[in-house]
Amino acid sequence: MGKSLATLKGLRGIYLGLWGALLLFSYSSERLNLLVRAPLQPVIGLAGVVLLLLAGLDMGLGQGRQRLPRRESASWLLGGMVALAMLLLPPEPSFSDLAASRGSGQMLQEEISFVLPAGQRSLTDWVRLLRAAPDPQLYDGDPVRISGFVLAVPGQPPQLARLLVRCCLADATPIGLPVRWPPGKPLPKANQWLAIEGVMGIESSDGQAHSLVLPNRISPTPRPKRPFEG
Amino acid sequence: MGWDKLATTWAVFQGLLIGALPFLLIGVGIASLVRWFSPAGGWLRRLPADPLLGPLTGAALGFALPACECGNVPVARRLIASGAPMATAFGFLFAAPVLNPIVLASTWAAFPDRPWLLLARPLAALAIALALASLLRLLPEAELLSDELLEERRLNQPLGKLSLLERRGGLLGERPQPPIGPQRMAAAEALGHGVREFLNLATLLVFGCAIASLVQTLVPRSWLLAVGDTPTLSILSLMLLAVLVSVCSSVDAFLALGFAAHVTPGALLAFLILGPVIDLKSLSLFGVVLRPGALALTVAGTAVVVLLICQWVNLWQL
Repeated sequence: MGKSLATLKGLRGIYLGLWGALLLFSYSSERLNLLVRAPLQPVIGLAGVVLLLLAGLDMGLGQGRQRLPRRESASWLLGGMVALAMLLLPPEPSFSDLAASRGSGQMLQEEISFVLPAGQRSLTDWVRLLRAAPDPQLYDGDPVRISGFVLAVPGQPPQLARLLVRCCLADATPIGLPVRWPPGKPLPKANQWLAIEGVMGIESSDGQAHSLVLPNRISPTPRPKRPFEG
Repeated sequence: MGWDKLATTWAVFQGLLIGALPFLLIGVGIASLVRWFSPAGGWLRRLPADPLLGPLTGAALGFALPACECGNVPVARRLIASGAPMATAFGFLFAAPVLNPIVLASTWAAFPDRPWLLLARPLAALAIALALASLLRLLPEAELLSDELLEERRLNQPLGKLSLLERRGGLLGERPQPPIGPQRMAAAEALGHGVREFLNLATLLVFGCAIASLVQTLVPRSWLLAVGDTPTLSILSLMLLAVLVSVCSSVDAFLALGFAAHVTPGALLAFLILGPVIDLKSLSLFGVVLRPGALALTVAGTAVVVLLICQWVNLWQL
């Protein structure tokens, strides 16, 4: 152990460069789309460039070639290994699994001042509209064209959902729309991405009427490049 | 743990860590600049040491660093190492994550319909900073600060303030890292210290993010929100949630928006004022500033002050 740590002397710039490479690679490979919201992404890319420059400068000045306490070199080695693992193992979150541990999300803007035509509304637009004006009669028969992932709801049929993210995956909260899935066919698997075309309908449960999507066409769709909404 | 859960935990870990690293870099950058421009403390030692004025001055410095809690730790550490009064440094450490323009703007954007929150959040952050600064003053520096920080602080304090035994370097023998050349090495030394500090803090951040991501994925949030309308329990559960989720103070108001309607006003405030001071992610970073005993005192003191403030808010608002 001691020998292997001793050979790490002078590698400080490389450890710093690893963190920089991780940030820059995550930014350039669009992997960040699965981790953080778009406004934060340039900051992360810039931080990666700065770290790489500092690593080069540090190595150029020969500052890393000092004796280091063993605990400190072990700590940097561990950090470097984590950075390497993050470079090699891309994030592949299960949105449905993540949503299951979160409460239902509330929108930043619950009152609507501008409403898109029905056929152009995204799933988030629909949820926002239904929360601002929940009377299902207002939307009965309106065309619906939405996409999202299948969210398992305990004790109920699955919903089509999206994740709302303000900063990073840690603050993701799900919003979903109920769907009347075609009878006689197996329910879709959780986490699967689907595009649905249909109309908005009305369903009564527990003496209360609420809107739900009546699909005419359900087709699998790839996960969007930027899957989060805000 | 199933494969999906493991993959989700890994992704949340990456999101937390990658989102925090730029702010850590900003904090270390500011700390390095302070070291470069004022290597021996200088004007920092003349900041107010008064138990009231000190924390207020430290809190006001938060407006100069619009970053969340990860970036504040290296700057607060540099303030202490340079010999700045503890009261100012702790005021900065504990209040600045809330008292900065980005956090105040995001609180306003998330809760325009709750004007009392826009006032209560910064005021409560100030109250916490004042209380913690007063509490931690009771401990002697040797029981308060981590060994390395204590040594560095003593090197930068006037000779008259310390005995030879307390000051382990700087008078006899070599300084820990002697300057090699007069001008070029000043910048190189500051860079070297900054790189070292960043690497140390990055590893600590890895631990904090790993624990936070595990807890986030394994503990359903609904468990903590189930006691939403019970005055005291709701505050306690939201305090726990704030510690566990470990999101940046600049966005925690948007996260709170998701459950604001289901919890008491005091619980909502508890989430917004405790998280910026104590969470699983920042606790690991505090290890470079405070000894374990002082850290435990900080956690306990913060919890009591937050609970008292938020109980009072519940009495007033409910």
